[in-house]
Amino acid sequence: MSSNIANETTCAFSDRRPWTVGRVLKSRPFLYAVSLCCFFFGWDYLARTLGTEGSSSLARPAQVWTALQDLYVNELAEHKLLGHVWASTQRVLIGFSIAAVLAVPMGLFMALNRYVNAIVKPLFDLLKPMPPISWISISILWFGIDETSKVFIIVIGTFVPCLLNAYNGVRLVEPELYDVIRMLGGNRCDEILHVCFPASFPAIFAGLQISLSSAWTCVLAAELVSARSGLGYIIVQGMNLSDPAMVMGGMAVIALVAWGTTLIVTALEGYLCPWKRKIAGL
Amino acid sequence: MAPHSSDAPVKIACAHVSKTFIQKGKQEVPVLDDVSLEVHENEFLVILGPGQCGKSTLLRIIAGLETPSTGSVTLKDKDGMAREVQGPGSDRGLVFQGYMLFPWKTVQGNVEMGPRLRGLPAAECRALARHYIDMVGLTGFEGHYPHQLSGGMKQRVGIARVYANSPEVMLLDEPFGQLDAQTRIFMEQETARIWQAEKRTVIFVTNNIDEALYLGDRIVAMEGKLPGRVQTVYEVDLPRPRDFTDMEFLRLRQQIIDASRLTL
Repeated sequence: MSSNIANETTCAFSDRRPWTVGRVLKSRPFLYAVSLCCFFFGWDYLARTLGTEGSSSLARPAQVWTALQDLYVNELAEHKLLGHVWASTQRVLIGFSIAAVLAVPMGLFMALNRYVNAIVKPLFDLLKPMPPISWISISILWFGIDETSKVFIIVIGTFVPCLLNAYNGVRLVEPELYDVIRMLGGNRCDEILHVCFPASFPAIFAGLQISLSSAWTCVLAAELVSARSGLGYIIVQGMNLSDPAMVMGGMAVIALVAWGTTLIVTALEGYLCPWKRKIAGL
Repeated sequence: MAPHSSDAPVKIACAHVSKTFIQKGKQEVPVLDDVSLEVHENEFLVILGPGQCGKSTLLRIIAGLETPSTGSVTLKDKDGMAREVQGPGSDRGLVFQGYMLFPWKTVQGNVEMGPRLRGLPAAECRALARHYIDMVGLTGFEGHYPHQLSGGMKQRVGIARVYANSPEVMLLDEPFGQLDAQTRIFMEQETARIWQAEKRTVIFVTNNIDEALYLGDRIVAMEGKLPGRVQTVYEVDLPRPRDFTDMEFLRLRQQIIDASRLTL
């Protein structure tokens, strides 16, 4: 009897069709390459036509690359390129970690206890619409222009998405799963341990991803206002020196590093939530 | 043939159970009205009725997930002592219509859950789970997650999960309601096979007459409207495994259809 039930399980099968010209033209890596080539050639074309050589307000890709090589080798305000990358990353990681460690348990606690919720929720509803960048001036007044004020801004900017997603993750748990635990003989503790926590994991990670991108926005804003290091500082220096290649180089490096940190969180999620369906693309 | 089910002692009984839900506003909706029934040890009792007749509510009351407005449910435990049911417990195992597997646990993890919550040693939990996974025919799928299984396989996990917790009474709430017709018939055959391999006291809720006749020792037919009342109780004295096209099967089927038409 058990032999005829092995149906509908997921099975990956390899594609053995030959590589024809038509198939190459429609394949995803090829289209990615086309997309990127068009972008870089278009950019280069615009940069060449918009201004005379050397004084364009739009730097050519090759100029940006040269500027980055220059930053990589030579010091700018006592740091080479990797030093600035590390300065920004360090701020992001510290602020993001503080927010995650405080906000996730708080969100879970709010969802699990309605008294805590009733006391804390109004405060968050009040502070939520306030853009985190609006805290920059007050944080400089409070903490000065050193690291603390930058980390503070990041904590402010990442706290709310972390908290709200953890909160919603618990609130949106299928209520019948609690019935299952009670039916199997479990108590309230088992409900929290075996249903609340694992069920809210995907939402918590979604919150961490949003927080991380918010953290990069915040660190950049803080560095633009006052800093002696970091990628935001490179951009400001580029602006002061009227060097578009340097500004755009800083922008490109930020995109690259932020993307890298996102990948780390995604990998962590895949490791901790192996049950999540793999969604192709995106 | 097995001794007649009504010779066995009563395992679980509902006495004058009524339930009224209070909806938003203060409108009272009577769902169950004075339902009394007795289930004998190792009997397969089917509660049959159309949608919205209170049968699932009755099952949830027996499971302890709802409290009756009046009346009580008494269960005879392993020592033969009858006691009133208060809230859910591992002595009654419920198989849900919507499977309700833990998506973050593998088949093995889902089936192990009951024994682990009751604090059994890990090795024993694993062995119990393995045994019941084999029994429901999912050998080789222990490491799969629920989203990798078909509907029929998910419900096999649901049944194994309840078996592994060795409840006194098994409650099945329209377990095959979401399956296609062919898988459903196959799962009914499997349920009969599994139940005959390890007999338990079963209360099985369904809206499908064929399913009721195929599985039940007795069928409690509910009235087709709210509040739910017991209409007729049918003894199904057919040998197992049963045949959907047997003359006696078809005669009983017609009898139940004729009787239910009066109330629909």
